Amino acid sequence: MAVSESQFESSREQADEDDVEARVGWRYTVARIKADTTARWGLYVVTVVLFVAIYAAIDSNLSLLTFGVLSDYTFARLIPIFDHPTHIPPPGEGTQHMPPYFPLAEQPWNPLPAGGTLEHPLGTDHTGRDYFTRIVYGTQVSVFVGIVSTFIGLTGGTVVGAVAGYYGGRVDDVLMRVVETVYAIPPLILIIVFTVFVGGANIWYAVLGVGIAFVPVFARIIRSRVLSVREMDYIEAARAAGVKDRNIIRRHVVPNSFAPVLVYATLQIGVTILIVAGLSFLGYGAQPPTPDWGQMLNIAHGYMHSNVWLSIWPGIAIMITIMGFNLFGDGLQDALDPRIDD
Amino acid sequence: MSSEPLLRVENLKTQFFTEAGTVRAVDGISFEVREGEIVGLVGESGAGKSVASMSIMGLVEAPGEIVGGEITYKGETIFGLEEGPDGELRKRDDALSDEEIRTRIRGNEIAVIFQDPMESLNPVFTVGGQLREFIELNRGLEGEEARAAAIDMLREVGIPDPEERYEEYPHQFSGGMRQRVLIAMALACEPSLIIADEPTTALDVTVEGQILELVDDLQSKYGTSFVWVTHDLGVVAEICDRVNVMYLGEIVEQAPVDELFYETKHPYTDALLDSIPRPDRTVTELEAIEGVMPEAIEPPSGCRFHPRCPDAREVCKRVHPEPTVIADADGEPHRAACVKHDAFDVDYEGSPPLAGATRETGDGMAEGTASELAPNPADDGGEDRE
Amino acid sequence: MKLLKYTIYRLAQAVPVLIGISIITFLLANLGPGDPVSLMLQGQEHSEELVRAIERRYGLDRPLHERYVTYMVGLLQGDLGQSIYYERPVAGLILDRAGPTLLLVVSAYAFALATAIPLGVVAADRRNEPTDHVSRIAALVGVSTPSFWIGIVLILVFAVKLGWLPSSGLYYPWRPPSAYRGIDGHLELYYQSARHLLLPMIALGTLQMATIMRVERTQMIESLQGEYVKLARAYGVPERTVLRKHAFQVAQLPIITIVGLNLSTAIGGAVLVETVFNINGMGQLFVGAIQRNDYQLVMGVTMMLGVLFVVGVIITDISYAYVDPRVTYGERE
Repeated sequence: MAVSESQFESSREQADEDDVEARVGWRYTVARIKADTTARWGLYVVTVVLFVAIYAAIDSNLSLLTFGVLSDYTFARLIPIFDHPTHIPPPGEGTQHMPPYFPLAEQPWNPLPAGGTLEHPLGTDHTGRDYFTRIVYGTQVSVFVGIVSTFIGLTGGTVVGAVAGYYGGRVDDVLMRVVETVYAIPPLILIIVFTVFVGGANIWYAVLGVGIAFVPVFARIIRSRVLSVREMDYIEAARAAGVKDRNIIRRHVVPNSFAPVLVYATLQIGVTILIVAGLSFLGYGAQPPTPDWGQMLNIAHGYMHSNVWLSIWPGIAIMITIMGFNLFGDGLQDALDPRIDD
Repeated sequence: MSSEPLLRVENLKTQFFTEAGTVRAVDGISFEVREGEIVGLVGESGAGKSVASMSIMGLVEAPGEIVGGEITYKGETIFGLEEGPDGELRKRDDALSDEEIRTRIRGNEIAVIFQDPMESLNPVFTVGGQLREFIELNRGLEGEEARAAAIDMLREVGIPDPEERYEEYPHQFSGGMRQRVLIAMALACEPSLIIADEPTTALDVTVEGQILELVDDLQSKYGTSFVWVTHDLGVVAEICDRVNVMYLGEIVEQAPVDELFYETKHPYTDALLDSIPRPDRTVTELEAIEGVMPEAIEPPSGCRFHPRCPDAREVCKRVHPEPTVIADADGEPHRAACVKHDAFDVDYEGSPPLAGATRETGDGMAEGTASELAPNPADDGGEDRE
Repeated sequence: MKLLKYTIYRLAQAVPVLIGISIITFLLANLGPGDPVSLMLQGQEHSEELVRAIERRYGLDRPLHERYVTYMVGLLQGDLGQSIYYERPVAGLILDRAGPTLLLVVSAYAFALATAIPLGVVAADRRNEPTDHVSRIAALVGVSTPSFWIGIVLILVFAVKLGWLPSSGLYYPWRPPSAYRGIDGHLELYYQSARHLLLPMIALGTLQMATIMRVERTQMIESLQGEYVKLARAYGVPERTVLRKHAFQVAQLPIITIVGLNLSTAIGGAVLVETVFNINGMGQLFVGAIQRNDYQLVMGVTMMLGVLFVVGVIITDISYAYVDPRVTYGERE
């Protein structure tokens, strides 16, 4: 057995040599992304959004934007590495750096949302917090939730799809029925039920719920890839050589399915952000005072007549972010699938 | 023979304007098709034969465009360009308009049979429905009449139970049967000319034989002319009357079929013949043509075949030969575009062989019989280019 | 009848999925750490006896599998249990609220298809021309914008700012006009329901429209490059016919599938749009049930929405089979 294993290893090296071509393919892909206007713009937008998100996360008290970020910032507590300063500088100390309103603290003395000024370009919300800052912080939640839950869906889907596709037969039947079932319950509904009944309204359960709800999507893609890859000669050879199933899946099947999944995952981030926005709008996503676009829209709904713009800005932020991921995904698709050549 | 041919293509040029550059897919070809004749258009893939045939129908799709030449069909100009007052090329006034080509030429005068029978039929319509639509459009028949004509034609091309199969969908037909349907479509419109674009390439050999036989029978019955586009000289030998060999957008040899096979005048045709099995020769090994065809974006200088030609000499890099009458085969001109023939006065003999050329000096001449058979070049040379 | 056979086959295939939906909903509602009773009593002083009493009343003291069997038996008889908050049968509540949701979803689809298909065809036909670019950008914005926010913006513009259209509620055209105050005659009722429906329909339909448009465009481009299109052109078929018949028919097949699969997004969207426009449909019923921890009702609504999706997919599959001869007949070699 050992001999055949090593034989297979050498044949695998051969395959790795063949991968040079795959690497050329990868370089080709990158070149195509660079050449593709859609992908390029998508990449720009995604980069800016990611930058804003990361900036908002790591920035402590250096800038005006985040000067007064407070301990009630739930999200910061959930991610310990993104530690935010917990103390509020007392009034009078370093006054010129301090904005008149703390961006995230509730300021009960200013009950009505205010319009845009130089200090508050997008105005303030109903508690007097700077709206622009909250929008900037909202990026973090959206992007984080989008990426993490897509990753959960991707990982879960890869495992389920690979196992179902590789083993076929009854395993496949059972797994795919389960997948179909989960798929049949509209994601938003499934996520709300999951969040409320299993966890309680909390962003982490929402992330997990969204991830689970999208397992079927990825499982299906991976499974169909596996079914086509499974029939290939070198998989047959590997199986004949006695390589463990788990290794075959991990080394051959999964890498072979990478391209379509990557495209899909990018597009899925957009879908996820869309869903989470809806979830938060209904009150089952991020909880106040964590700034989240959907939840901000929920609150703004009550101030529709006094300040129209409160309902506008978070929506625009959501739109731009999702558009970025969609553009990038579209471009990626064009780059990886030359079937339709624009 | 002196009468006007059915179709005359003169100096046709079709180019594709791509990001990588201008592809000169068809670069100045001339040939004609007479009534009742099957004319072959032969070459490797990429030689421009399909583009040439589509150009005749005015069906070149963007970014392709016919940029020069003239196509005459039954004495009418279906394509012609002239220089406008502003120096821009524009359609000649006497040429048919797009609308006229669509209604008067396509289908009812010139029909096509495409290469891939699996893709050419629309999957969501019944075979009969598609056939009937074309009949209604091109023969002015309607309703039951068109249906009857369609069923007749299905029977004619050898489809069993044509009434039943009329109602069936393309996916219920085998490849060979679908090709028969496509032939039925072409014949049903009663055209004078059918352009067959590699119609048997996608079929297996036995089916190919049946289809060729069918076409042969129907051709003699209906007297339809064919332009038969193929890369397969075997097929050419079987059904064509005259042959045009294309290489990189140009016609390199033009002759009646027997003449082409037995008195080959162009090294490229030679090479093509060597690459297929032939019943009249015993060969121990088939020879592949050296190298691959270069891109039509930047064709080689001089003779375009010279980088792959076993007879190439220094002069071939410089002189670009036009197809010129080299020999006469029972009154039919035999044209070739190769400077090794005396019709080209470029001192081929005195030119040193190119490094890549495989044949020894003089060897090429010994194999070809060109010099002995070449008629007086001065007599025929002028007729070649008008 | 091959189509009938196919229909039965598809329905039979749906059975395990439907059972699966019931299991998942049941487990979610009953297994979580937040069990129904404590959710019901949230924030209230309660004694052990009260908990027992509630458990007994709703049969929660019995083992899980027994409860599931009871639930399923009821389900098969059309009994989805009792709503804890409304103290009415869940089935009846759902039936009452299904109308507006279906009206909303169906009209959103009608709007989406009626706009997306012509736009997609035109964009494909004028590929890489300005028309194409504009509609592609519009579609991109469409797939990137939450339906509830579109609803909010529509309200802000057309209801708050311009005052042209109502911002909330819905008139049900199937009710007698006398059910509404100030409405006399069917015509006025239809007019009012159309006015009320317009904004939510656009809000919910935009995402569908954008998705369908993108698919339509891609499919049309692909179809226009097909050999059968080349053939039709070669036989002198007018360009209009080539576009509208030969290329179009083939391109519609994936659209049918998309319509079915997108139903799950549309249902989720309906929940949000109903909230924004204050429409008393299943979405609102669901949100209310969640807020009140009315777990029987949540289970019922979740099941029904799942069933709605499955039924929608089956309907589209069957219509696909009608349009595409390849599905039912199978390949004959």
